[in-house]
Amino acid sequence: MTDPLNLQAFGEEANARLAVEHEALMQFLYLAPVGLVQTGIDGEILMINPISAQLLMPLARDGNLVNLFEALEGVAPELRHLCAQFTRPNGMVCDGLQIHLNHPGYASGGALRPRRSPQVLSLSLLKLDDARLMAVLSDVSEQVRRERQLRQNDAWLNALLTSITDYALVGLDRQGRVCEWNETIGRVTGHGEAVVGSSYAVFYPPDAITAEQVHDRLREADQNGWNLDEGARLRADGSQFWASAMISPVPDRDLEPADPDAPAYCMVLRDISDKRDAIETRRKSAFCDHLTGVANRRAFFEAAELELQRNRRTPRPTALILIDADHFKRINDHHGHPGGDAVLRQLGLVLTATFRQVDVVARVGGEEFAVLLPSSTLDGAAAVAERLRQVVQTQVVAFEGEQIAFTVSAGVAASDGGDLDLDMLMKRADQALYAAKSGGRNRIECWTPTLSEQAERSPQPRDEAQDAP
Amino acid sequence: MNTATALSFTTPALLDQLAQLNAELLDQLDFGVIGFDAETNVCRYNRTESEAAGLTPPRVLGQPLFTNVAPCLNNFMVAQRFEDAEDGNTALDETIDYVLTLRMRPIKVKLRMLAEPGSAVRYVLVQRRL
Repeated sequence: MTDPLNLQAFGEEANARLAVEHEALMQFLYLAPVGLVQTGIDGEILMINPISAQLLMPLARDGNLVNLFEALEGVAPELRHLCAQFTRPNGMVCDGLQIHLNHPGYASGGALRPRRSPQVLSLSLLKLDDARLMAVLSDVSEQVRRERQLRQNDAWLNALLTSITDYALVGLDRQGRVCEWNETIGRVTGHGEAVVGSSYAVFYPPDAITAEQVHDRLREADQNGWNLDEGARLRADGSQFWASAMISPVPDRDLEPADPDAPAYCMVLRDISDKRDAIETRRKSAFCDHLTGVANRRAFFEAAELELQRNRRTPRPTALILIDADHFKRINDHHGHPGGDAVLRQLGLVLTATFRQVDVVARVGGEEFAVLLPSSTLDGAAAVAERLRQVVQTQVVAFEGEQIAFTVSAGVAASDGGDLDLDMLMKRADQALYAAKSGGRNRIECWTPTLSEQAERSPQPRDEAQDAP
Repeated sequence: MNTATALSFTTPALLDQLAQLNAELLDQLDFGVIGFDAETNVCRYNRTESEAAGLTPPRVLGQPLFTNVAPCLNNFMVAQRFEDAEDGNTALDETIDYVLTLRMRPIKVKLRMLAEPGSAVRYVLVQRRL
Protein backbone atom coordinates (compact mmCIF):
# COMPACT_ATOMS: atom_id res chain seq x y z
CA MET A 1 0.00 0.00 0.00
CA THR A 2 1.49 3.34 -1.06
CA ASP A 3 0.50 6.62 0.36
CA PRO A 4 0.42 9.25 -2.43
CA LEU A 5 1.36 11.98 0.07
CA ASN A 6 4.46 10.09 1.17
CA LEU A 7 5.41 9.51 -2.44
CA GLN A 8 5.17 13.19 -3.13
CA ALA A 9 7.26 14.03 -0.07
CA PHE A 10 9.80 11.48 -1.19
CA GLY A 11 9.96 13.05 -4.65
CA GLU A 12 10.43 16.53 -3.22
CA GLU A 13 13.19 15.34 -0.97
CA ALA A 14 14.98 13.69 -3.88
CA ASN A 15 14.60 16.83 -5.96
CA ALA A 16 16.01 18.96 -3.14
CA ARG A 17 18.98 16.62 -2.83
CA LEU A 18 19.58 16.81 -6.57
CA ALA A 19 19.32 20.60 -6.49
CA VAL A 20 21.97 20.84 -3.79
CA GLU A 21 24.21 18.47 -5.67
CA HIS A 22 23.67 20.39 -8.89
CA GLU A 23 24.58 23.65 -7.22
CA ALA A 24 27.73 22.14 -5.76
CA LEU A 25 28.78 20.79 -9.16
CA MET A 26 28.05 24.15 -10.73
CA GLN A 27 30.21 25.93 -8.20
CA PHE A 28 32.92 23.36 -8.71
CA LEU A 29 33.00 24.31 -12.38
CA TYR A 30 32.73 28.03 -11.62
CA LEU A 31 35.79 27.81 -9.39
CA ALA A 32 38.00 25.46 -11.40
CA PRO A 33 41.24 27.46 -11.76
CA VAL A 34 41.61 26.48 -15.38
CA GLY A 35 39.64 27.40 -18.45
CA LEU A 36 37.26 24.76 -19.82
CA VAL A 37 35.31 25.22 -23.03
CA GLN A 38 33.17 22.87 -25.05
CA THR A 39 32.59 23.91 -28.65
CA GLY A 40 31.09 22.65 -31.83
CA ILE A 41 33.50 21.35 -34.47
CA ASP A 42 33.51 24.87 -35.99
CA GLY A 43 34.52 26.45 -32.66
CA GLU A 44 31.09 27.68 -31.65
CA ILE A 45 31.02 27.89 -27.87
CA LEU A 46 28.50 25.54 -26.25
CA MET A 47 29.66 25.56 -22.65
CA ILE A 48 32.26 27.69 -20.99
CA ASN A 49 33.50 28.24 -17.46
CA PRO A 50 34.48 31.56 -15.86
CA ILE A 51 38.29 31.29 -16.16
CA SER A 52 37.83 30.89 -19.91
CA ALA A 53 35.88 34.13 -19.99
CA GLN A 54 38.49 35.81 -17.83
CA LEU A 55 41.21 34.80 -20.31
CA LEU A 56 39.26 35.23 -23.55
CA MET A 57 37.21 38.38 -22.96
CA PRO A 58 40.23 40.71 -23.27
CA LEU A 59 40.92 39.07 -26.65
CA ALA A 60 37.37 39.22 -27.97
CA ARG A 61 37.17 42.22 -30.21
CA ASP A 62 33.43 42.69 -30.19
CA GLY A 63 32.77 42.02 -26.51
CA ASN A 64 31.19 38.70 -27.34
CA LEU A 65 32.21 35.11 -26.86
CA VAL A 66 30.44 33.16 -29.53
CA ASN A 67 33.19 31.24 -31.22
CA LEU A 68 36.47 30.07 -29.68
CA PHE A 69 38.40 30.22 -32.96
CA GLU A 70 37.17 33.77 -33.55
CA ALA A 71 38.08 34.85 -30.02
CA LEU A 72 41.62 33.54 -30.57
CA GLU A 73 41.81 34.66 -34.20
CA GLY A 74 44.20 37.53 -33.49
CA VAL A 75 46.66 35.43 -31.49
CA ALA A 76 46.25 31.92 -32.86
CA PRO A 77 44.95 32.17 -36.41
CA GLU A 78 46.03 28.61 -37.17
CA LEU A 79 43.46 26.93 -34.91
CA ARG A 80 40.68 26.52 -37.44
CA HIS A 81 43.15 25.09 -39.91
CA LEU A 82 44.61 22.79 -37.27
CA CYS A 83 41.20 21.31 -36.55
CA ALA A 84 40.30 21.01 -40.21
CA GLN A 85 43.49 19.06 -40.83
CA PHE A 86 42.80 16.71 -37.97
CA THR A 87 41.14 13.84 -39.78
CA ARG A 88 40.98 11.21 -37.05
CA PRO A 89 37.50 10.72 -35.53
CA ASN A 90 38.74 11.80 -32.10
CA GLY A 91 41.93 12.64 -30.18
CA MET A 92 44.19 15.51 -29.14
CA VAL A 93 44.32 18.19 -31.80
CA CYS A 94 46.93 20.11 -29.86
CA ASP A 95 48.41 19.60 -26.42
CA GLY A 96 49.73 22.57 -24.48
CA LEU A 97 50.01 24.82 -27.51
CA GLN A 98 51.58 28.05 -26.32
CA ILE A 99 49.82 31.19 -27.48
CA HIS A 100 51.76 34.41 -27.06
CA LEU A 101 49.49 37.37 -26.53
CA ASN A 102 51.77 40.32 -27.00
CA HIS A 103 50.37 41.16 -30.38
CA PRO A 104 49.72 44.84 -31.16
CA GLY A 105 45.95 44.54 -31.04
CA TYR A 106 45.96 43.16 -27.54
CA ALA A 107 45.33 45.45 -24.60
CA SER A 108 43.73 48.01 -26.80
CA GLY A 109 42.14 49.47 -23.69
CA GLY A 110 45.19 51.42 -22.60
CA ALA A 111 48.67 52.47 -23.49
CA LEU A 112 50.18 50.59 -20.60
CA ARG A 113 50.32 46.81 -20.61
CA PRO A 114 47.69 45.96 -18.03
CA ARG A 115 48.94 44.32 -14.87
CA ARG A 116 46.40 41.57 -14.93
CA SER A 117 46.83 40.37 -18.44
CA PRO A 118 48.53 37.11 -19.14
CA GLN A 119 51.31 37.04 -21.71
CA VAL A 120 51.17 33.40 -22.66
CA LEU A 121 48.20 31.04 -22.75
CA SER A 122 48.38 27.32 -23.04
CA LEU A 123 45.69 25.65 -25.12
CA SER A 124 44.85 21.98 -25.42
CA LEU A 125 42.15 20.88 -27.83
CA LEU A 126 40.53 17.49 -27.66
CA LYS A 127 38.28 16.34 -30.46
CA LEU A 128 35.48 14.32 -28.87
CA ASP A 129 33.71 13.33 -32.07
CA ASP A 130 32.69 14.87 -35.40
CA ALA A 131 30.54 17.45 -33.63
CA ARG A 132 32.36 18.46 -30.47
CA LEU A 133 35.66 19.79 -29.16
CA MET A 134 36.85 20.26 -25.57
CA ALA A 135 39.39 23.00 -24.87
CA VAL A 136 41.55 23.55 -21.81
CA LEU A 137 42.98 27.03 -21.44
CA SER A 138 45.37 28.29 -18.84
CA ASP A 139 47.61 31.23 -18.15
CA VAL A 140 51.17 29.90 -18.27
CA SER A 141 52.93 33.27 -18.30
CA GLU A 142 54.69 32.53 -15.03
CA GLN A 143 55.90 29.08 -16.07
CA VAL A 144 57.14 30.44 -19.37
CA ARG A 145 58.96 33.22 -17.56
CA ARG A 146 60.60 30.70 -15.21
CA GLU A 147 61.55 28.42 -18.07
CA ARG A 148 63.11 31.33 -19.86
CA GLN A 149 65.09 32.16 -16.74
CA LEU A 150 66.26 28.55 -16.48
CA ARG A 151 67.29 28.51 -20.10
CA GLN A 152 69.21 31.67 -19.47
CA ASN A 153 70.95 30.05 -16.51
CA ASP A 154 71.77 27.11 -18.73
CA ALA A 155 73.19 29.45 -21.31
CA TRP A 156 75.33 31.12 -18.68
CA LEU A 157 76.57 27.78 -17.48
CA ASN A 158 77.26 26.58 -21.00
CA ALA A 159 79.14 29.75 -21.77
CA LEU A 160 81.22 29.24 -18.64
CA LEU A 161 81.78 25.57 -19.14
CA THR A 162 82.72 25.62 -22.77
CA SER A 163 85.23 28.39 -22.31
CA ILE A 164 86.86 26.85 -19.26
CA THR A 165 88.81 23.71 -19.95
CA ASP A 166 89.88 22.67 -16.52
CA TYR A 167 86.60 21.70 -14.87
CA ALA A 168 85.11 18.23 -14.80
CA LEU A 169 81.47 17.97 -13.75
CA VAL A 170 80.79 14.58 -12.25
CA GLY A 171 77.39 13.35 -11.10
CA LEU A 172 77.67 10.88 -8.23
CA ASP A 173 75.03 8.49 -6.92
CA ARG A 174 74.33 7.95 -3.23
CA GLN A 175 77.31 5.62 -2.93
CA GLY A 176 79.66 8.07 -4.63
CA ARG A 177 79.72 6.19 -7.93
CA VAL A 178 80.00 8.11 -11.20
CA CYS A 179 76.49 8.23 -12.71
CA GLU A 180 77.13 9.52 -16.19
CA TRP A 181 80.03 10.29 -18.43
CA ASN A 182 80.34 13.67 -20.08
CA GLU A 183 82.92 15.52 -22.10
CA THR A 184 84.28 17.48 -19.17
CA ILE A 185 85.22 14.24 -17.43
CA GLY A 186 87.02 13.10 -20.54
CA ARG A 187 88.79 16.42 -20.91
CA VAL A 188 90.08 16.74 -17.38
CA THR A 189 90.69 13.13 -16.37
CA GLY A 190 91.03 11.32 -19.67
CA HIS A 191 88.50 8.73 -18.53
CA GLY A 192 86.03 7.32 -21.04
CA GLU A 193 82.51 6.07 -20.47
CA ALA A 194 83.86 2.98 -18.75
CA VAL A 195 84.36 5.14 -15.66
CA VAL A 196 80.59 5.13 -15.06
CA GLY A 197 79.83 2.99 -12.04
CA SER A 198 83.25 3.47 -10.46
CA SER A 199 83.59 5.15 -7.09
CA TYR A 200 84.96 8.67 -7.34
CA ALA A 201 88.02 7.20 -5.59
CA VAL A 202 89.06 6.27 -9.14
CA PHE A 203 90.26 9.88 -9.51
CA TYR A 204 92.59 9.56 -6.52
CA PRO A 205 96.10 8.14 -6.71
CA PRO A 206 96.39 4.65 -5.19
CA ASP A 207 96.23 4.75 -1.38
CA ALA A 208 95.19 8.40 -1.32
CA ILE A 209 91.66 7.72 -0.06
CA THR A 210 90.05 4.86 1.83
CA ALA A 211 86.61 3.44 1.12
CA GLU A 212 85.45 4.89 4.43
CA GLN A 213 86.73 8.34 3.50
CA VAL A 214 84.81 8.16 0.22
CA HIS A 215 81.67 7.97 2.36
CA ASP A 216 82.94 10.45 4.93
CA ARG A 217 83.15 13.16 2.30
CA LEU A 218 79.61 12.44 1.12
CA ARG A 219 78.33 12.59 4.71
CA GLU A 220 80.17 15.87 5.24
CA ALA A 221 78.60 17.25 2.07
CA ASP A 222 75.19 16.18 3.43
CA GLN A 223 75.82 17.94 6.71
CA ASN A 224 77.56 21.11 5.57
CA GLY A 225 76.14 21.47 2.08
CA TRP A 226 79.58 20.88 0.57
CA ASN A 227 82.90 19.18 0.98
CA LEU A 228 86.10 20.58 -0.42
CA ASP A 229 89.25 18.58 -0.92
CA GLU A 230 92.47 19.61 -2.52
CA GLY A 231 95.28 17.33 -3.56
CA ALA A 232 96.80 15.07 -6.14
CA ARG A 233 94.45 13.37 -8.62
CA LEU A 234 94.97 10.66 -11.16
CA ARG A 235 94.22 10.72 -14.86
CA ALA A 236 93.22 7.60 -16.74
CA ASP A 237 96.74 7.31 -18.17
CA GLY A 238 98.25 7.23 -14.67
CA SER A 239 99.64 10.78 -14.75
CA GLN A 240 98.77 13.05 -11.85
CA PHE A 241 97.50 16.59 -11.57
CA TRP A 242 96.77 18.87 -8.67
CA ALA A 243 93.07 19.37 -8.13
CA SER A 244 90.46 21.02 -6.00
CA ALA A 245 87.30 18.92 -5.69
CA MET A 246 83.99 20.23 -4.41
CA ILE A 247 81.19 17.79 -3.65
CA SER A 248 77.70 19.10 -2.99
CA PRO A 249 74.35 17.32 -2.59
CA VAL A 250 71.88 17.64 -5.46
CA PRO A 251 68.86 19.71 -4.39
CA ASP A 252 65.51 17.91 -4.32
CA ARG A 253 67.14 14.51 -4.76
CA ASP A 254 64.87 13.14 -2.04
CA LEU A 255 61.93 13.73 -4.34
CA GLU A 256 63.00 10.67 -6.31
CA PRO A 257 64.06 8.23 -3.63
CA ALA A 258 62.94 5.36 -5.83
CA ASP A 259 65.76 5.77 -8.31
CA PRO A 260 69.04 4.68 -6.71
CA ASP A 261 70.95 5.56 -9.87
CA ALA A 262 69.88 9.18 -9.98
CA PRO A 263 72.64 11.68 -9.24
CA ALA A 264 72.71 12.48 -5.54
CA TYR A 265 75.85 14.62 -5.54
CA CYS A 266 77.65 16.91 -7.92
CA MET A 267 81.41 16.89 -7.91
CA VAL A 268 83.28 19.71 -9.57
CA LEU A 269 86.84 18.63 -10.17
CA ARG A 270 89.13 21.47 -11.09
CA ASP A 271 92.66 21.19 -12.37
CA ILE A 272 94.69 23.74 -10.41
CA SER A 273 98.12 22.40 -11.28
CA ASP A 274 99.28 25.84 -12.34
CA LYS A 275 98.39 27.25 -8.96
CA ARG A 276 99.88 24.34 -7.11
CA ASP A 277 103.19 25.97 -6.27
CA ALA A 278 101.58 28.96 -4.62
CA ILE A 279 99.09 26.77 -2.78
CA GLU A 280 101.75 24.33 -1.69
CA THR A 281 103.99 27.10 -0.41
CA ARG A 282 101.15 28.48 1.65
CA ARG A 283 100.15 25.06 2.86
CA LYS A 284 103.68 24.09 3.77
CA SER A 285 104.30 27.19 5.81
CA ALA A 286 101.23 26.44 7.87
CA PHE A 287 101.15 22.67 8.04
CA CYS A 288 104.59 21.30 7.26
CA ASP A 289 107.67 20.75 9.31
CA HIS A 290 110.21 22.99 7.63
CA LEU A 291 113.11 20.57 8.18
CA THR A 292 111.69 17.28 6.98
CA GLY A 293 108.74 18.32 4.83
CA VAL A 294 106.31 16.01 6.62
CA ALA A 295 103.30 17.38 8.49
CA ASN A 296 103.87 19.41 11.63
CA ARG A 297 102.18 18.90 15.01
CA ARG A 298 99.34 21.25 14.14
CA ALA A 299 98.55 19.42 10.91
CA PHE A 300 98.81 16.08 12.68
CA PHE A 301 96.38 16.94 15.45
CA GLU A 302 93.94 18.59 13.06
CA ALA A 303 93.97 15.51 10.86
CA ALA A 304 93.66 13.25 13.88
CA GLU A 305 90.71 15.27 15.17
CA LEU A 306 88.93 15.01 11.81
CA GLU A 307 89.55 11.26 11.68
CA LEU A 308 88.21 11.05 15.22
CA GLN A 309 84.96 12.80 14.21
CA ARG A 310 84.53 10.51 11.23
CA ASN A 311 85.18 7.53 13.44
CA ARG A 312 82.38 8.53 15.80
CA ARG A 313 79.94 8.62 12.90
CA THR A 314 81.15 5.41 11.30
CA PRO A 315 83.39 3.37 13.59
CA ARG A 316 86.38 1.73 11.91
CA PRO A 317 89.84 0.58 12.96
CA THR A 318 92.50 3.28 13.23
CA ALA A 319 96.18 2.82 14.03
CA LEU A 320 98.88 5.10 15.36
CA ILE A 321 102.63 4.54 15.16
CA LEU A 322 105.17 6.55 17.13
CA ILE A 323 108.67 6.35 15.66
CA ASP A 324 111.85 7.50 17.29
CA ALA A 325 115.37 7.71 15.85
CA ASP A 326 117.59 5.55 18.08
CA HIS A 327 120.53 7.13 19.92
CA PHE A 328 119.83 10.47 18.31
CA LYS A 329 121.72 12.36 21.01
CA ARG A 330 124.80 10.40 20.08
CA ILE A 331 124.40 11.30 16.38
CA ASN A 332 124.07 14.95 17.29
CA ASP A 333 127.08 14.78 19.59
CA HIS A 334 129.20 13.03 17.01
CA HIS A 335 128.20 14.78 13.79
CA GLY A 336 126.91 18.05 15.15
CA HIS A 337 123.34 19.34 14.70
CA PRO A 338 123.63 19.62 10.90
CA GLY A 339 124.40 15.90 10.85
CA GLY A 340 121.38 15.21 13.05
CA ASP A 341 119.26 17.33 10.73
CA ALA A 342 120.44 15.30 7.73
CA VAL A 343 119.36 12.11 9.51
CA LEU A 344 115.92 13.56 10.26
CA ARG A 345 115.50 14.70 6.65
CA GLN A 346 116.38 11.23 5.43
CA LEU A 347 113.94 9.67 7.91
CA GLY A 348 111.24 12.04 6.66
CA LEU A 349 111.85 10.88 3.09
CA VAL A 350 111.72 7.19 4.01
CA LEU A 351 108.55 7.72 6.04
CA THR A 352 106.81 9.49 3.15
CA ALA A 353 107.86 6.77 0.74
CA THR A 354 106.80 3.93 3.04
CA PHE A 355 103.33 4.98 4.10
CA ARG A 356 100.20 5.44 2.03
CA GLN A 357 99.16 8.90 0.88
CA VAL A 358 96.14 8.65 3.10
CA ASP A 359 98.30 8.15 6.20
CA VAL A 360 99.28 11.28 8.07
CA VAL A 361 103.03 11.38 8.68
CA ALA A 362 104.13 14.11 11.08
CA ARG A 363 107.13 15.20 13.07
CA VAL A 364 105.76 15.62 16.56
CA GLY A 365 108.97 16.11 18.52
CA GLY A 366 112.75 16.54 18.08
CA GLU A 367 113.45 13.10 16.65
CA GLU A 368 109.98 11.68 17.17
CA PHE A 369 107.54 11.06 14.36
CA ALA A 370 103.93 9.96 14.43
CA VAL A 371 101.89 8.28 11.72
CA LEU A 372 98.11 8.10 11.80
CA LEU A 373 96.75 5.26 9.68
CA PRO A 374 93.04 5.53 8.89
CA SER A 375 91.21 2.23 8.43
CA SER A 376 94.20 0.19 9.61
CA THR A 377 94.42 -2.61 12.13
CA LEU A 378 97.19 -3.18 14.66
CA ASP A 379 98.70 -6.00 12.62
CA GLY A 380 98.57 -4.04 9.37
CA ALA A 381 100.24 -1.01 10.94
CA ALA A 382 102.88 -3.19 12.62
CA ALA A 383 103.76 -4.77 9.29
CA VAL A 384 104.34 -1.38 7.66
CA ALA A 385 106.34 -0.21 10.67
CA GLU A 386 108.53 -3.30 10.37
CA ARG A 387 109.10 -2.54 6.69
CA LEU A 388 110.15 0.97 7.65
CA ARG A 389 112.55 -0.32 10.29
CA GLN A 390 114.22 -2.60 7.74
CA VAL A 391 114.58 0.13 5.11
CA VAL A 392 116.11 2.54 7.59
CA GLN A 393 118.55 -0.09 8.81
CA THR A 394 119.87 -0.77 5.33
CA GLN A 395 120.39 2.89 4.36
CA VAL A 396 123.11 5.33 5.28
CA VAL A 397 123.02 9.12 5.23
CA ALA A 398 125.85 10.82 3.36
CA PHE A 399 126.93 13.87 5.33
CA GLU A 400 130.10 15.90 4.71
CA GLY A 401 132.01 12.92 3.40
CA GLU A 402 130.87 10.66 6.19
CA GLN A 403 128.30 7.90 6.21
CA ILE A 404 125.82 8.02 9.07
CA ALA A 405 123.96 4.82 9.79
CA PHE A 406 121.00 4.89 12.15
CA THR A 407 118.02 2.81 13.22
CA VAL A 408 114.52 3.49 14.49
CA SER A 409 112.25 2.06 17.15
CA ALA A 410 108.51 2.19 16.88
CA GLY A 411 105.46 1.65 19.07
CA VAL A 412 102.16 0.68 17.49
CA ALA A 413 98.67 1.04 18.96
CA ALA A 414 95.27 0.70 17.36
CA SER A 415 91.61 1.15 18.09
CA ASP A 416 88.92 -1.00 16.52
CA GLY A 417 86.70 2.03 16.33
CA GLY A 418 83.82 3.05 18.54
CA ASP A 419 86.06 4.01 21.45
CA LEU A 420 88.75 5.94 19.61
CA ASP A 421 90.37 8.33 22.01
CA LEU A 422 93.37 10.14 20.61
CA ASP A 423 95.00 10.69 24.00
CA MET A 424 94.60 7.02 24.85
CA LEU A 425 95.99 5.95 21.48
CA MET A 426 98.98 8.28 21.86
CA LYS A 427 99.62 7.01 25.38
CA ARG A 428 99.52 3.35 24.30
CA ALA A 429 101.76 3.91 21.27
CA ASP A 430 104.13 5.70 23.62
CA GLN A 431 104.15 2.76 26.04
CA ALA A 432 104.84 0.41 23.13
CA LEU A 433 107.65 2.69 21.92
CA TYR A 434 109.15 2.62 25.41
CA ALA A 435 108.98 -1.17 25.36
CA ALA A 436 110.78 -1.21 21.98
CA LYS A 437 113.47 1.08 23.35
CA SER A 438 114.01 -0.88 26.53
CA GLY A 439 113.85 -4.13 24.54
CA GLY A 440 117.06 -3.16 22.72
CA ARG A 441 115.98 -0.59 20.06
CA ASN A 442 115.83 -1.11 16.27
CA ARG A 443 112.59 -2.94 16.84
CA ILE A 444 108.80 -2.64 16.67
CA GLU A 445 106.50 -3.22 19.62
CA CYS A 446 102.74 -3.40 19.63
CA TRP A 447 100.78 -2.23 22.61
CA THR A 448 99.30 -4.90 24.89
CA PRO A 449 97.36 -4.45 28.15
CA THR A 450 100.42 -5.73 30.00
CA LEU A 451 102.37 -2.66 28.88
CA SER A 452 99.85 -0.38 30.58
CA GLU A 453 100.15 -2.36 33.83
CA GLN A 454 103.94 -2.08 33.68
CA ALA A 455 103.71 1.62 32.99
CA GLU A 456 101.53 2.13 36.02
CA ARG A 457 104.05 0.34 38.23
CA SER A 458 107.04 2.35 36.99
CA PRO A 459 106.37 5.69 35.27
CA GLN A 460 108.59 6.05 32.23
CA PRO A 461 111.03 8.89 32.03
CA ARG A 462 111.05 9.94 28.37
CA ASP A 463 114.27 11.79 27.92
CA GLU A 464 117.68 11.45 26.39
CA ALA A 465 118.91 9.62 29.49
CA GLN A 466 117.22 6.47 28.20
CA ASP A 467 119.07 6.83 24.98
CA ALA A 468 122.44 7.14 26.65
CA PRO A 469 124.72 4.20 26.00
CA MET B 1 5.27 52.38 -6.62
CA ASN B 2 7.99 51.40 -4.24
CA THR B 3 11.57 52.63 -4.34
CA ALA B 4 13.00 49.41 -5.64
CA THR B 5 11.02 49.12 -8.82
CA ALA B 6 11.75 52.76 -9.62
CA LEU B 7 15.41 51.84 -9.99
CA SER B 8 16.72 50.50 -13.27
CA PHE B 9 20.12 49.33 -14.51
CA THR B 10 20.75 52.73 -16.01
CA THR B 11 19.52 54.97 -13.18
CA PRO B 12 22.09 57.73 -12.61
CA ALA B 13 23.90 58.01 -9.28
CA LEU B 14 22.80 54.50 -8.43
CA LEU B 15 25.43 53.66 -5.83
CA ASP B 16 23.95 55.74 -2.99
CA GLN B 17 20.45 54.49 -3.75
CA LEU B 18 21.49 50.83 -3.72
CA ALA B 19 23.12 51.41 -0.34
CA GLN B 20 19.71 52.50 0.97
CA LEU B 21 17.95 49.29 -0.05
CA ASN B 22 17.52 46.40 2.35
CA ALA B 23 17.98 42.82 1.17
CA GLU B 24 14.31 42.36 0.43
CA LEU B 25 14.11 45.40 -1.84
CA LEU B 26 17.36 44.47 -3.52
CA ASP B 27 15.79 41.13 -4.43
CA GLN B 28 13.00 42.91 -6.29
CA LEU B 29 15.34 44.54 -8.79
CA ASP B 30 15.24 43.08 -12.31
CA PHE B 31 19.04 43.23 -12.73
CA GLY B 32 21.76 41.33 -10.93
CA VAL B 33 23.47 43.03 -8.02
CA ILE B 34 26.74 41.95 -6.49
CA GLY B 35 28.10 44.18 -3.72
CA PHE B 36 31.55 43.68 -2.26
CA ASP B 37 33.47 45.25 0.60
CA ALA B 38 36.95 46.70 0.98
CA GLU B 39 38.47 43.20 1.08
CA THR B 40 36.54 42.34 -2.12
CA ASN B 41 34.39 39.86 -0.14
CA VAL B 42 30.83 39.64 -1.42
CA CYS B 43 28.40 41.26 1.05
CA ARG B 44 25.30 41.78 -1.12
CA TYR B 45 23.90 39.31 -3.63
CA ASN B 46 20.38 39.70 -4.93
CA ARG B 47 17.87 37.14 -6.16
CA THR B 48 18.13 38.03 -9.85
CA GLU B 49 21.85 37.35 -9.81
CA SER B 50 21.46 34.26 -7.65
CA GLU B 51 18.93 32.70 -10.00
CA ALA B 52 20.90 33.52 -13.13
CA ALA B 53 24.08 31.99 -11.75
CA GLY B 54 22.35 29.05 -10.10
CA LEU B 55 24.05 29.74 -6.78
CA THR B 56 22.26 30.38 -3.46
CA PRO B 57 23.50 33.34 -1.38
CA PRO B 58 25.12 31.15 1.33
CA ARG B 59 27.59 29.82 -1.26
CA VAL B 60 28.60 33.31 -2.24
CA LEU B 61 28.28 35.73 0.70
CA GLY B 62 31.58 36.37 2.45
CA GLN B 63 33.61 34.90 -0.41
CA PRO B 64 36.20 36.96 -2.30
CA LEU B 65 34.50 38.11 -5.49
CA PHE B 66 37.28 37.93 -8.04
CA THR B 67 38.71 34.57 -7.03
CA ASN B 68 35.87 32.55 -5.50
CA VAL B 69 32.67 33.95 -6.97
CA ALA B 70 33.28 35.47 -10.38
CA PRO B 71 36.79 34.60 -11.56
CA CYS B 72 35.65 35.58 -15.04
CA LEU B 73 35.83 39.21 -13.90
CA ASN B 74 39.39 38.91 -12.67
CA ASN B 75 41.12 40.72 -15.53
CA PHE B 76 42.02 44.22 -16.57
CA MET B 77 38.55 44.89 -17.94
CA VAL B 78 36.82 44.60 -14.57
CA ALA B 79 38.93 43.83 -11.50
CA GLN B 80 41.63 46.23 -12.46
CA ARG B 81 39.14 49.03 -13.03
CA PHE B 82 38.12 48.78 -9.39
CA GLU B 83 41.74 48.65 -8.29
CA ASP B 84 42.66 51.67 -10.37
CA ALA B 85 39.72 53.63 -8.97
CA GLU B 86 40.78 52.69 -5.46
CA ASP B 87 44.42 53.60 -6.06
CA GLY B 88 43.49 56.87 -7.73
CA ASN B 89 40.84 57.66 -5.11
CA THR B 90 38.36 58.34 -7.91
CA ALA B 91 34.75 57.42 -8.55
CA LEU B 92 33.92 54.63 -10.99
CA ASP B 93 30.65 54.38 -12.89
CA GLU B 94 31.13 52.63 -16.19
CA THR B 95 29.16 50.17 -18.25
CA ILE B 96 30.76 47.65 -20.60
CA ASP B 97 29.63 44.78 -22.78
CA TYR B 98 30.74 41.48 -21.34
CA VAL B 99 30.07 37.78 -21.45
CA LEU B 100 29.30 35.89 -18.27
CA THR B 101 29.45 32.14 -18.03
CA LEU B 102 26.19 31.63 -16.18
CA ARG B 103 25.51 27.92 -15.72
CA MET B 104 28.45 27.35 -18.10
CA ARG B 105 26.63 29.10 -20.95
CA PRO B 106 28.15 32.21 -22.49
CA ILE B 107 25.61 34.92 -21.71
CA LYS B 108 25.96 38.37 -23.22
CA VAL B 109 25.51 41.00 -20.56
CA LYS B 110 26.11 44.61 -19.76
CA LEU B 111 28.21 45.14 -16.68
CA ARG B 112 27.99 48.35 -14.69
CA MET B 113 30.83 49.00 -12.28
CA LEU B 114 30.18 51.32 -9.36
CA ALA B 115 32.62 52.61 -6.76
CA GLU B 116 33.19 55.84 -4.92
CA PRO B 117 36.02 56.97 -2.70
CA GLY B 118 35.12 56.04 0.86
CA SER B 119 32.07 53.97 -0.04
CA ALA B 120 31.87 50.86 2.13
CA VAL B 121 30.38 48.74 -0.66
CA ARG B 122 31.27 48.63 -4.36
CA TYR B 123 28.95 47.07 -6.92
CA VAL B 124 28.96 45.08 -10.10
CA LEU B 125 25.53 45.22 -11.77
CA VAL B 126 24.54 42.72 -14.44
CA GLN B 127 21.90 43.04 -17.13
CA ARG B 128 21.32 40.63 -20.00
CA ARG B 129 21.81 41.93 -23.48
CA LEU B 130 19.41 40.83 -26.18
